[in-house]
Amino acid sequence: MTAGQGVAAPVVVGSEVAQMGGPAALPRRNGELVFEAPWQGRVFGLALGVVRHLGLPWHEFQQRLIAEIGAHPDAPYYDCWLAALERLVVEHGVAAPAELAAAEGAVRRESRS
Amino acid sequence: MSASEERHDHGPKGDHHHPAPLTDVEVRTRALEELLREKGLVDESFIDAVVSAYENDIGPMNGARVVARAWVDPAYRRRLLADATAAIGELGYAGPEGDHMVVVENTEAVHNVVVCTLCSCYPWPVLGLPPTWYKSAAYRSRLVREPRVVLREMGLDLPESVEIRVWDSSAEIRYLVLPERPAGTEGLGQEALATRVTRDAMIGTARP
Repeated sequence: MTAGQGVAAPVVVGSEVAQMGGPAALPRRNGELVFEAPWQGRVFGLALGVVRHLGLPWHEFQQRLIAEIGAHPDAPYYDCWLAALERLVVEHGVAAPAELAAAEGAVRRESRS
Repeated sequence: MSASEERHDHGPKGDHHHPAPLTDVEVRTRALEELLREKGLVDESFIDAVVSAYENDIGPMNGARVVARAWVDPAYRRRLLADATAAIGELGYAGPEGDHMVVVENTEAVHNVVVCTLCSCYPWPVLGLPPTWYKSAAYRSRLVREPRVVLREMGLDLPESVEIRVWDSSAEIRYLVLPERPAGTEGLGQEALATRVTRDAMIGTARP
């Protein structure tokens, strides 16, 4: 239960829970999809992975997410999540904006080929 | 930025491989993932594990077990209300976004409901990922102003005599509602009780 355990703890809990059967497994999702599209799940996992790899407190991501939602109140939630992660990556010197743009260009070209 | 440019790509162009062009956010997410993978900052199996854990395994079931335990074990209930983070940790549930938990108890006279007016602060380790409506601008802005109306629209019609308390979750404190144990469940054990506890009951927009 220490803060340093970060993301590792729930993943472990998850596999334990997954192996349990019986009535306990039933109301998992309460009938609602938690992600509306696969990319939302990816960008969710990416944020947790990057924050953990950089050894940052979760707050570093959180405050950027709040800022994005505040700046774009009508934008879909995970759009803000993505923008917050892009900002975190740039502001922590992981990648320059030009690198991001180049990677996007590569993905676009690839998806058209 | 390039969202509009991407939209112009819709329509027949003979690209059989990609009947649905990638949206702008899909392109940006893929680009980010590839860049981060190149730099060795994430690995795919980790992302897969996180997504799967939060989507399927961590879910509201953890919170339901906390509630069921509190219903059958008065000493646990007292610990839960006094120090929720520690009491939830006793059951092995911990992790990001669950570090500072506060449990608020429903009674005959008081009904509690949780919102995050700023974004979507939510106790992941016990409730999984927040539902879509929890993140909506309408829920976030209206629940504080007119909780009784919003709850009624969501199917929970509370008598006027019941006081409604709205709790604003934040990065510092995450709230979880301890619902009242339903009548007629006296003979049920802890596991059976846990199946009665829904995610919405622990947010406070429904009753078990």
